[in-house]
Amino acid sequence: MERIEALAPDQSSLASARKLLKASSWPTLAEGEGLIWGECQGSGATPYRVAVTEADAGYKCTCPSRKFPCKHALALMWMRADRSAAFAPASVPDWVKDWLSRRRGTSTGASKAEDEARPKTRPSIRLTGIPEAGADADPKAEQRAAAARERNRLEREAAVLAGLDDLDTWLSDQVQHGMANFVAQTAQVCRTIAQRLVDAKASGLAGRLDALSARLFTLPGPARPSSAIRELGQIYLISRAYRRASELPELLAADARQAVGWSVTREALLGDPEAVRVDAKWRVFAVLSEAQPDRLRRVETWLWRQGGADGLPQCAVLIDFVPISGAAVGGYLVGDQVDAELRFYRSTIPLRAQIARLKTGAAQTKEPLALPNETLGASYAMYERALAELPWLGTFPVTFRSASVRRNAEQLYLHDDESELSLSLHTSQTSDALPLASVGRIDGIGLWNGYEFTLAWAETQLGRWVRS
Amino acid sequence: MNWATLHARVQPSLLAGTSRHPLPGDSIRTADPGSDGALEMLSLMGQALRFERPSPPDSFTVEPEISDDRKILADGLRRPLVRLLTAKSATEHPARALARAFDRLRLRPHPFDLPLIDAFVRSNAEKLGPTAQHWADRQKPEAETQSYFDPELLDESNWAQARLSRRVAYLDQRRRDDADTARALVESTWAQEDADTRFRLLHVLQTRLSMADQPFLSTLEKDRAPRVRALAAKFLARLGAGGENPALRACMERIKQSQSGLLRKRPVLQLELPANVKDQAVSRWILQAFTDVSFGELGGAFQFTEKELIEASAKDEPLLLALALMATSERRLDLLELVVAHLPNAWERTFESGLDTLGSMTESERQRCEEIIVHPYRKDLPTIYSLWDWLHRITDAEAPPSVMSIAVKTKLLAKVPERERGAAPWLEVIAALCPAPQRQELREQLVEFDQSQTVIPLALLDILDGMENDTTHV
Repeated sequence: MERIEALAPDQSSLASARKLLKASSWPTLAEGEGLIWGECQGSGATPYRVAVTEADAGYKCTCPSRKFPCKHALALMWMRADRSAAFAPASVPDWVKDWLSRRRGTSTGASKAEDEARPKTRPSIRLTGIPEAGADADPKAEQRAAAARERNRLEREAAVLAGLDDLDTWLSDQVQHGMANFVAQTAQVCRTIAQRLVDAKASGLAGRLDALSARLFTLPGPARPSSAIRELGQIYLISRAYRRASELPELLAADARQAVGWSVTREALLGDPEAVRVDAKWRVFAVLSEAQPDRLRRVETWLWRQGGADGLPQCAVLIDFVPISGAAVGGYLVGDQVDAELRFYRSTIPLRAQIARLKTGAAQTKEPLALPNETLGASYAMYERALAELPWLGTFPVTFRSASVRRNAEQLYLHDDESELSLSLHTSQTSDALPLASVGRIDGIGLWNGYEFTLAWAETQLGRWVRS
Repeated sequence: MNWATLHARVQPSLLAGTSRHPLPGDSIRTADPGSDGALEMLSLMGQALRFERPSPPDSFTVEPEISDDRKILADGLRRPLVRLLTAKSATEHPARALARAFDRLRLRPHPFDLPLIDAFVRSNAEKLGPTAQHWADRQKPEAETQSYFDPELLDESNWAQARLSRRVAYLDQRRRDDADTARALVESTWAQEDADTRFRLLHVLQTRLSMADQPFLSTLEKDRAPRVRALAAKFLARLGAGGENPALRACMERIKQSQSGLLRKRPVLQLELPANVKDQAVSRWILQAFTDVSFGELGGAFQFTEKELIEASAKDEPLLLALALMATSERRLDLLELVVAHLPNAWERTFESGLDTLGSMTESERQRCEEIIVHPYRKDLPTIYSLWDWLHRITDAEAPPSVMSIAVKTKLLAKVPERERGAAPWLEVIAALCPAPQRQELREQLVEFDQSQTVIPLALLDILDGMENDTTHV
């Protein structure tokens, strides 16, 4: 225990770690080959994965905390030290092996510097038992806080509407000047209005405009002006839908609010009795990571439901935002299977979800994905139907059977002979997916964003291919 | 308003700008009096474009069919292999050991892993089979790519189409089996080869060089490439059929001959180094000075047999190093062994000379060479990382069991000073050199080290064991 005290960056980390000592917070606790590891459900969409080497107390956690070690690593060490939880013997999983192979050796110089940076008073486990002052709820304070929240909400509503008026004016200017002109100066003109929308607390629309320049420049030159029409038209559509939310179906109105920038907290989602919940075995088929202009990294973990054609969502995406300097991947690896209850955010096309209850930890399995028996053409038609229901639909999962990867110069396509549909693969996959061009027919799943297809998973005659 | 109207009448206005190209008046009907008609057209057009299906390219490329008889690495080894080859701290040693294992066991990486281990594939394509070679060449212009052969499939009809190193290896083998046919093969394509290829192919004639080669070598005195002319002249001089070798004359000027012994006079040779060569540069100078001189030529100049030449040089370490380098260059391991008997630190001296290739030695010759230079150290194997690093790079082979047995039994790794263990990838180079029989013993010794240092070497040993013993390669 003394070693844990010595490692803790501050007293509050130890206090936070103490709150995680319940075995119920840890769907996985395991040990093997001198290592201990576990999964802990935190405030992120995906559980945090923590591993510790017993010999030298090296640690790794997928949480975005800037404290080292974080409360999850401390809690894992703590449970091991006081034997308050049982660690099941197991073979070391791939995510732990991956970390070990990338791990730097213990550095005495670094630890000395860290020691010097730490406060002089050493954190103490004994002190974590003292209850925090003011922990008891004060009903009057609660009421005041609720009133303040409502006042803030009304102020924000007004600010957003004012921002949307500015947006309309800006859009009119762009239409007057023409899209060919807009494409030539996208970055500058979008930056200004995006900042205005940030001030108006319409962060969702601001993000779309900020990312527009990068998106257009991934496309070939001749395609950019018409793509600008698509993107700006969509932004106007969201703006109109937001203003006319009361006339729209409830779910579409919720979509419009989310697209503008109103977020739903994890607590609010889990407390929403109307939210769609699906209890099933889920398979991770893609993990995407993208750095955003706001210095955050958006990590999307895409899940596919194993079995069940019952009208409930078949696919889900868990979205985490982590500091850009942090890990580029989330907690889960492609191929992991999770037995969990998911709660979906309200939407016409429910995709985004949170894990409400994790029954077991994630484990790699070789089982194939339970894909529907549909060709690429048929799945694409489902995308079109979804687009009709939610006009600003973003990335959408598309499954396929018996398609093939074909090449034209450097560009790869996923091609369906039956419908003659060819979706161009994301440019980042030019090299990774090239071996698929020589394997004939494939079944699989990927993500279509309206421009490019990100191939995520394919079953081939040479075995499984997954996006790296 | 249908798609055709939107496309024909609205899109041009949106592209050019409504100030220059106004929207058709009859098309703007807003459902909501508060909305802007032009913006409604923008969103309608945008949505119509989103429903437009992507158009396919005019044609698709036909992928070449690669004939590759090698088995694909077992599934269970793929992820550990990728993890090892992409580890941040991994050096070239594990990659070399793995490439050798792929070649020896006639295995190939899974095609889906090629993009993930691209750097490894590019560096070792020839050892990984035709599919990997094709992958490594994928960005080269078609004219620069070669046909993809496994060495076992090369014969007289197609040897000229393979990669140069494979051609050299094939020719060298043929030269050992049938020197005249091999020379005839060289002659048959000689006129079409570039200078680099001619030089490499000519080197092969060193194996079983004989008077039968003289007519061909004589024709090369007028070759366009100076280095080809020089090499041909060297071979002719070795056969006693050419003119005087200037390199030999320069060496002779530096070797002093005398006699010693009271009752029986014995000849003694001594190499006199130039005064301007500093101590630390001596070995390098020797390599440069003697690189174009053969053992036979030098012995002939003194009218000594090869053994007499070694005996006469026995007391002069620089000259012994020169003889060791000549014997190595000529693949005369019998002579190298005799030289090393008088030069027990030949390993260090050869390393200092900067020798960076063992020429066309076969793997068993390289291993024998390693045995010869390492054995004199017996239980006092050096704990200098650069020596082991050089040994692995130059031999590019597993250490012979007799060498690794000494390293394991004497607990070489435990003798490495603590400060050096973290500074150089000691464990990786030893694991890469370790042959199968000693792997278990080495594993037991690795347990004593910091876990962060043993992840890569232990993974390497596991993968090599898996490659040799796994029966699920497909």
